[in-house]
Amino acid sequence: MKYRAKIAGPSGERSVEVEVQLDPTGVVVSLDGRPSRWDVVPTPGGGFSVLRSDGRQAEAVPHPAGNGTVRVRVGAERVTLELLDELTARAQAVAGKGSFRGSGEVKAAIPGRVLRILASPGDSVVEGQPLVVLEAMKMENDVRAHRDGVVRSVEVAAGQAVGAGQVLLSLEPAV
Amino acid sequence: MTERLLIANRGEIAVRIARACRDLGISPVAVFSDADRASLHVRLADHAVRIGPAPARESYLLPEKLIDAAKRTGARLVHPGFGFLAENAAFARAVRDAGLVWVGPDPESIAAMGSKTESRARMKAAGVPIVPGMTTPAKDAAEIAAFGREHGFPLLLKASAGGGGKGMRIVRAEEEVPAAFARARSEAVSFFADDAVYCELYVEKSRHVEVQVLGDRTGRVVALGERECSLQRRHQKVLEECPSPVVSPELRARMEESAVAAARSVDYVSAGTVEFLLASDGRFFFLEMNTRIQVEHPVTEMVYGVDLVAEMIRIALGEPMSFDRRPEPRGHAVECRIYAEDPSNGFAPSPGTIHRLRWPQGPGIRVDSGVEEGDTIPLDYDPMVAKLVAFGSDRDEALRRMRRALRESRVEGIETSIPFFLALLDDPDVLSGNVSTQFLESWTYPGDPAPTDDAAELALVAAAVAAARESVAVRGAAQPRPPSAWRTARPTFGHRE
Repeated sequence: MKYRAKIAGPSGERSVEVEVQLDPTGVVVSLDGRPSRWDVVPTPGGGFSVLRSDGRQAEAVPHPAGNGTVRVRVGAERVTLELLDELTARAQAVAGKGSFRGSGEVKAAIPGRVLRILASPGDSVVEGQPLVVLEAMKMENDVRAHRDGVVRSVEVAAGQAVGAGQVLLSLEPAV
Repeated sequence: MTERLLIANRGEIAVRIARACRDLGISPVAVFSDADRASLHVRLADHAVRIGPAPARESYLLPEKLIDAAKRTGARLVHPGFGFLAENAAFARAVRDAGLVWVGPDPESIAAMGSKTESRARMKAAGVPIVPGMTTPAKDAAEIAAFGREHGFPLLLKASAGGGGKGMRIVRAEEEVPAAFARARSEAVSFFADDAVYCELYVEKSRHVEVQVLGDRTGRVVALGERECSLQRRHQKVLEECPSPVVSPELRARMEESAVAAARSVDYVSAGTVEFLLASDGRFFFLEMNTRIQVEHPVTEMVYGVDLVAEMIRIALGEPMSFDRRPEPRGHAVECRIYAEDPSNGFAPSPGTIHRLRWPQGPGIRVDSGVEEGDTIPLDYDPMVAKLVAFGSDRDEALRRMRRALRESRVEGIETSIPFFLALLDDPDVLSGNVSTQFLESWTYPGDPAPTDDAAELALVAAAVAAARESVAVRGAAQPRPPSAWRTARPTFGHRE
């Protein structure tokens, strides 16, 4: 399996070509064309004990966060990286980054209850504007517009319980 | 018949109380809302009673439901924990009126300390230092200036009808008084339609230091040292320690004496906490008394070798406290309150299901938690997941063990404040104990540290291997997975699919 990864390090973001070969005796991972053998065993809860050939070991737990973003806990550190399989990476490179990518859906980042809805269909909103107030754990949390646009629809009602990732309303580009 | 105790609470403190019950041979009775049916505090109990839907005001805050649950299960004792109804004098009274035993101070003590003005008046009468302040509005600026000459500057001018910080002005020197008085007055009029203004001493860079007290029905009241709780975020304590790094034995003795006087002034029985504001010059002033067990009680327990919750239960049963000689402090203890919140996202709440949980173990570590792996942190209550406590022979060892404990912890599925504490325990002022209650107002979480190249590489390999394994699994039917080393090494017994 081939992947293209973007990862932030002390020396800024860098791009890495990754190839993974799983075989019965272990894992061979090539980073930018340099293959080496790794010992990677699953641990409870979806993590891995990752052992490099020089003896360096860490428990690493990857959490896919959508759109190729993966957050990985390594020991007590948190690493955020982007990992796309080769086809998706190529498709994205061809499509380029439009000014209004994606569906324009505004989602709940956390589960909660809808306290107030601050926008109605047809409203023009600007990036950062609070659209919905969610209550979670005795605190009020604003859900803000992630871009400029016009509210196309509101998908929830005040008082409703929502889950993480649930669509609250959708935006479309302003004409 | 076995004695039963109803725990009128949930989560971590309910689990803590259940443990004290077991140690005393008492059978714990849990109560639960619909959100807590499967919570750990229920699973650890011998009896459990549903008291209503998830919102606390329809369950944990309903005295009649709790008393009814005690009666139905034959529980004679009721322990309120902290929060909810713990400092509600009417609930304490209702428990007693129902013929049950309240594990806490008398309702009269709770009521006296619950009133800001009454407690201040009582402390003054008992000789407990309170922040010097005028008891009546100032007639003119000269009266303010005279107060400042007597007690020192800076002063805080306050509107008598005020609140929420409105109409407050700090005056640093006598020559500023006339102008500040005029401004405070006009602000008082515009905010509160009342020009009455008074002043009190403004204690800058103060610390929050509190003294643990314990009283029993023999009339004995002892103080068990102090806790340093200056590290607060949004007026919420986040890290506490015992003893305070700045309190000398001589100062401790004076604070303990004041705390005992405060407790005696309200005939205090059970465990309680007298909170003081400690000025940088060593003066201290009474803030309030918490008439319940505190969240941070474990640090005192570690250093003084006592079980405060068990003492509360013994005392409620009419027994004297278990020790004749007051225990001497030994070593140092630190507590971090681990919350379900994301420090790299403005401390947004992070409820959810914990699919992987590893608490730290080993020398000097205590974990008081209300959850296990697989449990869900509900939306409806306080987001505290656990209290990590580290004990050491001195402060340095306790802090090093706390760092080890934080790094050893694994909580997957929700975000927690563990990265915040790791960063906080890197701060030189925190390490040297050079903090005040304002410290965390100006200290911001620096964000997750940039990963080292090493960590980045290990993370990348883990993520790529996880992705590769998943795509192999998805295509499993079309492309059979090669037998793993585990499979091939495994002896086969008879039929194999």
